[in-house]
Amino acid sequence: MLKPILLVEDDVRDLELTLVALERSELANDVVVVRDGAQALDYLRREGEFASRVAGNPAVVLLDLKLPKVDGLEVLKIVRETPELRSLPVVMLTSSHEEGDVVRSYALGVNAYVVKPVEFKAFVAAIADLGIFWAVLNEPPPGSTKAARRFDGSA
Amino acid sequence: MNARLTDLDSCATEPIRVPGAIQPHGRMLVLDADSGRELAWSANWGDAAQRAAALSALDRRALDVPEGESPAPAGLLTVGGQEMDASVHRLGGQVIVEFEPAAADRGTHAPIYSLARHFLPQLQRARSVDDLLRIGVRELKRLTGFGRCLAYRFDAEGHGEVLAEAMDEGYERYAGHRFPASDIPAQARALYCLNFIRLIPDSDYVPVPLESSDAALAPTAIDLSLAGLRSVSPVHLEYMRNMGTRASMSVSIVVRGRLWGLVSCHDRDTRFLSFPTRAACEHLGRLLSVQVEAADERAEGEQRHELRELTLQIIAQRADLDASLLGLVNEPVPLLRLGRAAGVAVVLNEVCRSFGEVPPAPEILALAEWLRHRGDQVFQSDRLHELWPAAAAWGDVGAGVMAITISQVHRHVILWFRTAVVQTITWAGRPYKEVRSEGRIQPRSSFASWKEELQGRSLPWTSAEAGAVMELRQSLIGIVLRRAEELNEVAAELGRVNKELEAFSYTVSHDLRAPMRHIAGYVDLVLDIEGAKLGDKSQRYLQHVKDASAYSARLVDALLDFSRMGRTAIKPGAVDMAALSNEIARELTRFEPERRIEWDISPALPVLHADPTLMQVAMRNLMGNAVKYARDRAVTRVQVIPVERGGLRGVEVVDNGVGFDMRYVDKLFGVFQRLHQSDQFEGTGIGLASFRRIIERHGGQVWARGVPGEGARFGFALPHKNEESA
Repeated sequence: MLKPILLVEDDVRDLELTLVALERSELANDVVVVRDGAQALDYLRREGEFASRVAGNPAVVLLDLKLPKVDGLEVLKIVRETPELRSLPVVMLTSSHEEGDVVRSYALGVNAYVVKPVEFKAFVAAIADLGIFWAVLNEPPPGSTKAARRFDGSA
Repeated sequence: MNARLTDLDSCATEPIRVPGAIQPHGRMLVLDADSGRELAWSANWGDAAQRAAALSALDRRALDVPEGESPAPAGLLTVGGQEMDASVHRLGGQVIVEFEPAAADRGTHAPIYSLARHFLPQLQRARSVDDLLRIGVRELKRLTGFGRCLAYRFDAEGHGEVLAEAMDEGYERYAGHRFPASDIPAQARALYCLNFIRLIPDSDYVPVPLESSDAALAPTAIDLSLAGLRSVSPVHLEYMRNMGTRASMSVSIVVRGRLWGLVSCHDRDTRFLSFPTRAACEHLGRLLSVQVEAADERAEGEQRHELRELTLQIIAQRADLDASLLGLVNEPVPLLRLGRAAGVAVVLNEVCRSFGEVPPAPEILALAEWLRHRGDQVFQSDRLHELWPAAAAWGDVGAGVMAITISQVHRHVILWFRTAVVQTITWAGRPYKEVRSEGRIQPRSSFASWKEELQGRSLPWTSAEAGAVMELRQSLIGIVLRRAEELNEVAAELGRVNKELEAFSYTVSHDLRAPMRHIAGYVDLVLDIEGAKLGDKSQRYLQHVKDASAYSARLVDALLDFSRMGRTAIKPGAVDMAALSNEIARELTRFEPERRIEWDISPALPVLHADPTLMQVAMRNLMGNAVKYARDRAVTRVQVIPVERGGLRGVEVVDNGVGFDMRYVDKLFGVFQRLHQSDQFEGTGIGLASFRRIIERHGGQVWARGVPGEGARFGFALPHKNEESA
């Protein structure tokens, strides 16, 4: 049973394009979508609306850098400070390669850092690579289970 | 030198104020100021009765004179059948009455009136100190009949230089000669300030001792400082005899409380002067003093005014030029005039700029360091080698130095240099006294001209000059402080703007790139899903939409890179331009496998002190452009050559491409400025702007030359490493 991919993205269009890219990469994992940093933390810590979800960590978190409420760097920081989440693979997605972001992300222990390419084909390729590496090749830590539900991108 | 000091010292201990004796041409009575009782008298009175008669003949009111003033006339009286002038002064609780043979000229014929008639009108016309002294000696000679009158001024070391003389035939000339300071010992100088006149009618006189009725009052306790009859030092009498002088008189010129000079009169014969004549001479001395002081002040005021004008001129230049003190040397003339110097140098930490006749730069830097540690605000010396022995090796250049230290923390020093002049001093005789074997002081016996050459000295620096550079120092410090404040404000403002810019570019990069991505993404999806159903035109239009969004995304990236280039700190190191150019050439060739590119990279390219990453961006821009704009040539030729430009070193990249019209050269380096249509040559129009920003952040210069259809050359040059700190 494959663990889900947690996609944290606030922009509706980026979300749709990312989901299309994930679909095209033909990964078998479910994709759980949340729309801001606070929701992402709720999901990971099984709090709030996710209090009743089945225990277990996702295979990988695709985390947008710029998010409402709690931004990507803060989410990453909390993940690395939480013992049960510490080993969770986190890939930072961002619009540009502003040097400061890269440096801070790596300082906080990000596993990979991806600048979303403008070319859609390149974008699909990048997402596919990420999915294959982190969701398939990388043996996830024990405790991860298939996601209880899936968010519709348009919701 | 030592012998001179020894003699000066032993001379200076002679008790000249209290000799206990008078000269024999008059008589003296010393009274108690309170009771009027007789305390002492000169031994040349007939008897006590004669003294009592003289005393009773005196108008007692005349004895009531203020303490410490020069003798006042106390009337004409007959003593022992002789007409005598009495004069009175009061000093230290004693009243001293002097009796001298009466003068022939009295009343309105008194010399003081003739002085007013003759001398005052001339005095009014005199414009300079030299004029004043010239008419002064002439008048004094006329008044007294002395054979020779000399006026001299004392220099900083106390030597007297003869500035004016008037004499009868047969007298030796002394104009231009110097009398050494040791001729007049210190206590004699002090006395000249107190008592403006001193007469010795006959150097062969035998002193008349003072006698006292009271054993408690020793005659050598009576202060004769102000007395006209005071007996002088036997050493001085010997000096006079050596000089061939029988009679002498000195009149003081006192300026601002200091003994400025003397008018000195000599005669081969004895020469008695009556009290009224002496009073006129003293008056003349006081008039001269006042006038010399005024003339001195006028001259000094004029000089100060001129120097202030120069200071203002220098400061005015500073105010609108850059803050660096080094720039002062760009306009050296006012600086040189301010210090009346042959050369001037400005030292700013490790850098030295100079103009005119100055020692070698490393020597100036070392001297500046020494001056900084001395801590003087203004330093001056007309013989630097005595304080700073290294200066002896410079020869005549920089024998004299005046300097101002702008900062004690940093080495910021401005120095003026004067070249040595051989100064010949004509002494009136060798300026040394002799100590005889028995230890008695022997005044010099020769007054024949004796020339001394002073080597390794510049002209001395005047107090006005030192004052002027002091003022310049204050002004410069003011400017430096103000500049520092302004810089602080600018730095704060820059920091704020930089923060804003950072926030702005972050927003731009993040938020502007997202819609580009969306446009490209959705168009791709449409083409992917519906592509087969679309007509050729629609497909082509959608392709344009994709390309346009991709291009704007590249523009955003380029702009970000450009702004980052201005913000990131420069981390300089040694950059081997030859190695860097070869590496970029290989890379560019690899990207254009189907083209023939001939690279000519000079092995003599310099190693520059610069940020390696930024230098790589700069060179990639230049060489990439060269390749790009020579695309249409069968063979692309690119040369990379070294250049030297106004003390800067750099590189030039020459191509055989399309070139450009020099009319538009100024537009080349602007952001988004392009000289070619974008369908001809791809690009964002930021490459050269980035290039210039990189070079300018290194303190360098960029340039471009082009001929349409023939090619272009782009270059840059950077300062040497050691000039960066300036």
